[in-house]
Amino acid sequence: MTKRRKITASRVGLYLAVIVTSVFVAFPIYIIFLLALVPTKYTIYSARPPLIPPTISFVELQAAISSPGFAGAVSLSLEVAFMVGGLALAIGIPTAYGLSRLGSRLAYGLTTVLFVVNMMPSITIAIPLTVPFIKYGLYGSPISIALAQELLALPITTFLLVGAFQSLPREIEQQARVDGANRATAIYRILVPLIAPAIVASFLLAWMLSWDESTFALILGNLNPPTLPVLIFLSVTGRGNPTLAVAFSLIATIPVVILTVLLQKYLRGEDLASGIRG
Amino acid sequence: MTGPPGTLAARAGAPRSFWSRHRETIVPFLFVVPALIYVGAFAFYPAYDAIALSFRTPILSFTTYNYQSLVGEGLYSWVEATLIVTAGALALQFGLGLGIATLLTQTFRGKAVYGALMILPIGIATVVGAYTFSQILPPQGGYANSILALFGAAPVDWTSPNSMAILSVILADSWKNFALVVIILVAGYASIPRTLYLAAAIDGAGPIRRFLYVTLPNLRGYIVIALLIRGAQEFNIFQVAYVMIPGGPTLLTVAVYSNWEDVSTFYQATAAAAILLGIISIFIVAVILIGGRRR
Repeated sequence: MTKRRKITASRVGLYLAVIVTSVFVAFPIYIIFLLALVPTKYTIYSARPPLIPPTISFVELQAAISSPGFAGAVSLSLEVAFMVGGLALAIGIPTAYGLSRLGSRLAYGLTTVLFVVNMMPSITIAIPLTVPFIKYGLYGSPISIALAQELLALPITTFLLVGAFQSLPREIEQQARVDGANRATAIYRILVPLIAPAIVASFLLAWMLSWDESTFALILGNLNPPTLPVLIFLSVTGRGNPTLAVAFSLIATIPVVILTVLLQKYLRGEDLASGIRG
Repeated sequence: MTGPPGTLAARAGAPRSFWSRHRETIVPFLFVVPALIYVGAFAFYPAYDAIALSFRTPILSFTTYNYQSLVGEGLYSWVEATLIVTAGALALQFGLGLGIATLLTQTFRGKAVYGALMILPIGIATVVGAYTFSQILPPQGGYANSILALFGAAPVDWTSPNSMAILSVILADSWKNFALVVIILVAGYASIPRTLYLAAAIDGAGPIRRFLYVTLPNLRGYIVIALLIRGAQEFNIFQVAYVMIPGGPTLLTVAVYSNWEDVSTFYQATAAAAILLGIISIFIVAVILIGGRRR
């Protein structure tokens, strides 16, 4: 009898913890929707904003979508994000293949280099980068933003791809080489198709990091137009219309939330952990 | 490279045998070279450049003027605020992450939905999270005060005094980033053999002792990794502080940005950026020492 009561008590504690943490995580997400879909007099211009919306309107969303800066910002964000995703594969696939074939000691050292890059402060890197970008006429171009944002994406996509290459039996590559394929053919015709899911996941992860990134995009962009996160940043720090920012926020959030759920099984702690463990 | 030096035969033979002995190292290494060139040009060189620029002004080629001028503007308080926010946010994220990862080892109804919900904040742009929290925790009004009003409590200014502002920044940043700790620690839990728990249970260990003597020691490596990955990023908190509390606690990152925005203080901005890099470098070296020792 006491044992059963004890079990019930621990179940109650478990569900309580689940509910409390769920509310903590979900509440701000709820507020993002509220800010975008409720007239501003009940949200950012209200002294005590109601938690249950008295009315819903799409006025802010429509105004945001038709506002002059919006189309340019979305198209720049998309352009940069696809560049970051493409570069992550172009550099990441060979790097990951190389790392997966190197001895553990050298691989550990090189992985540490990538890990250090991931930990460097963006703002410290961004400011000196403006100097050569201005010198070579690249400043403000989409490719300059993409090359900087790649610093955040490359280490993570590489760790993910190294894990995928290591999961393939070595015999597959050896067999292809015996059959007359050179190394490049073996990699791109045989190995890469086998790790296609990890490659798609890497591309999307890099795309998502870029879509969300605002420090490099703020400092290295010419802001005419800015990327979507930078447009939001400027709008809410007194250089734009904050009522539009709430709608921009919702629009920026939706694709990434979908991607996060899709990518859930690829966001694996083991791959991140390999960054330090080598 | 190796072998008896000096003799012609050794010199002639060395390259070939070096190649054939190390072929399986050299070829894979060549695949990594483009990435090394890229990070050299776009990460390590700019980092060096930040330091070099920080000792210059438009007229002087070597000076500590930039650093002196930052001290006058309040450098020490920026460093202090940065360290407090970093430590606080790391502690809160770690506590949340460990708690939620532990919950995810249990079985309960709706666990799949719960797991998906817990990682959602990773997908929400930092700027969006920052702005949303600025509407939840503003100086007056705001959604947190709307909740307090339901319980009849008096409204709170979430941005003042300074310690309250720092707490707000810590809360907003932790909300956005704790999920990474969850992901890493869930992987850590998965690596612990079930039999260890069984053995501990047979020996009569209760849940608390199982946690202390089985879970924590086995999670240690993953805990270190989670603290390192998040720790380095905590020093970089920028948008959250800048958007949530204009005129609030000045973190080093905020100081870099404000100095950079004003063209006349470009070199002071690089000095503040170099200090930020220095603090993170100390952290990174500690990481590599700890990570290396664990191997």
